Amino acid sequence: MDSRYAIETENLRKTYKGKTYPTLDGFSLKIPYGSLFGLLAPNGAGKTTAINIICGLRKYDSGRVWVDGRSISDGMKHIRPLFGFVPQDIALFPTLTAYENLKIFGGLYGIEKPLLEKRIDQLLELFDLAESRHSYINRFSGGMKRRVNMIAGMLHAPKILILDEPTVGVDAQSRRMILEKLLEINRQGTTILFISHYLEEAQQICSEVAFMDNGTIVSQGSPEEMIAKHNSCSNLEAVYLLLTGKRIRDN
Amino acid sequence: MRKFRYLLYKDYLLLKRDIAGLLLMFLMPAVLVVLMTLLQESTYRVLKDASVPLLLVNKDEGDLGRAIEEEIELSGIFKIDRDIKGVVPTQEQLEREVAGSRYTLGIFIPENTTETIRKNVVKYVVTAFSGAEELPALDSVEFVIFVDPTTKVSFYSYIVSTLKERTQKIEFEYILKEVTKQVNNISPIPISSAGFSGDQVVVDIRSARLLGKNMVPNPVQHNVPAWSLFAVFFIIISLSGSIIREREEGSFSRLLTMPCSYTEYLLSKAVVFLVVTLLQFGLMLLIGIFVLPWFGLESLNLGSSPLALILLALSASVAAIGYGIAIGNIANTFHQSSVFGAISVVIMAAIGGVWVPTFVMSETLRQISKLSPMYWGLSGFLDVFLLDAGVKAILPECLAMLFFGLVCFAIAVIFNYRRRLDV
Repeated sequence: MDSRYAIETENLRKTYKGKTYPTLDGFSLKIPYGSLFGLLAPNGAGKTTAINIICGLRKYDSGRVWVDGRSISDGMKHIRPLFGFVPQDIALFPTLTAYENLKIFGGLYGIEKPLLEKRIDQLLELFDLAESRHSYINRFSGGMKRRVNMIAGMLHAPKILILDEPTVGVDAQSRRMILEKLLEINRQGTTILFISHYLEEAQQICSEVAFMDNGTIVSQGSPEEMIAKHNSCSNLEAVYLLLTGKRIRDN
Repeated sequence: MRKFRYLLYKDYLLLKRDIAGLLLMFLMPAVLVVLMTLLQESTYRVLKDASVPLLLVNKDEGDLGRAIEEEIELSGIFKIDRDIKGVVPTQEQLEREVAGSRYTLGIFIPENTTETIRKNVVKYVVTAFSGAEELPALDSVEFVIFVDPTTKVSFYSYIVSTLKERTQKIEFEYILKEVTKQVNNISPIPISSAGFSGDQVVVDIRSARLLGKNMVPNPVQHNVPAWSLFAVFFIIISLSGSIIREREEGSFSRLLTMPCSYTEYLLSKAVVFLVVTLLQFGLMLLIGIFVLPWFGLESLNLGSSPLALILLALSASVAAIGYGIAIGNIANTFHQSSVFGAISVVIMAAIGGVWVPTFVMSETLRQISKLSPMYWGLSGFLDVFLLDAGVKAILPECLAMLFFGLVCFAIAVIFNYRRRLDV
């Protein structure tokens, strides 16, 4: 365990029941404090499994995981308040309003009521949702749902924010806004682990990226370093295709 | 505790917005209990009301025929006709009318029945007082009861035995009167048969007072607890549905990345649905006490142990909630849980005696019914309503339901742990 890293995994292995091949096969990742870190991988590379293990949602067969210097094998009780998780699915209650959703999620982080209400107001304002605070989630557009989904993960001002494809299925305007806000939050000191399929997004906002394939990290560094390392590549997407191949992955 | 309050708040809001679920949990059982009680009551009323069609031909012009006629009228069971279009039928015509199912029963009292009996008694008394050793040959008296062949055996057996019993009583009283008259004719000391009747031996039929056995509840006593239990178990559709929806939507996973344990998550649902089930019980009992009498039914008598009722309601709720949570964790999709949940509750209700009381089931089905948690609950409620049972008497049923609920809860936790963590 190195104190420079907000999240560190060492040689993680995980094989699902009934599968003959491992989903994670020696997965080692180091995410420095204060970074906006992009984890980029083709479908079925094992990134969701890795994130679920880091968040304590899945067991692993072997290896080590530290979050903010604490091993998750010692229990998640003290780790959970440190990070915020924004899942790929719109993990909200569709029949509740945006405000009710945020009040519940914030309340579960133990935020005092006056502070919670202030945080909800600030974040709804920041993400341009203040006017829709009392509208039901099932009446929101895809972009609005994504933004509420993000707010729910950052209400408690976490030290580490983990986002699983936060811009999937949103229009260009909403995507731009989400990326801008992530940069803003990162500038305020929050370490961000950002999982995405969109390589130009990662090149645009990430301070460091890692490519993952077949359950392991194949390369890690800043976007500039990665491009520079491979002379034939002019952008991050070209490096990614070079390292992970052009074969289509369905799962 | 503050965090747990937010989980309760979440489950309360989700339930409040689930209008279809609320209708299913409150309106459906309320309608069912009224409807089913009325249906059963009307079936019972066919037997009680003066609605069994009877064709009575009384050719006897004496006291015995009249007395039998009066007794039949007073019984209140029959709708009596004495002629067909103004013509008194013969015995053959009467038989044809009953055979054609226009009447359930036909009674033919032949001519001179009273006179024949009177003559028999006179002959008997005179012979008895003359010191003769051999009794005289008596003329037989025969009146005929015709039964519609399509009538259920159990039904006409009941009617015929009632008729026979009443007729024999009248015959006995008449014979006694005639004997007294004849004795007074030849005896210097007058005797009286007044106050002496065929009611000396009273057959007192009672329900056996062994708890849970041989109880025959009226439709209100049966249907109110039965449909309350059905309603309570029907919450599993909403409960398991909410668990599966949250799992499918991802909010369940999100909750588990927060400082919120799986036990707290389940407990919150259990508490909210416990309130629902207790409200259901309250509503159904109020319907039994106040609403059913509007429809001419009896008001529900709650027995004398409110504590026993509360304990039964709580135990049944725990069983239903545990079952709902187990289904929510075992089923993969909402479709699976709603179909399996609904069918399993209907089966539990059917074998548990909710639709058809267990006392009319065959012995084999009665044994099978004991496997249903609804049977345990229903037995407990009937003990309280019919036999004034207290807490001690219904404890075995309560423990069985609590045990069932806790086993389901444990299955749910194990299933979730294995599925979620893939261990």
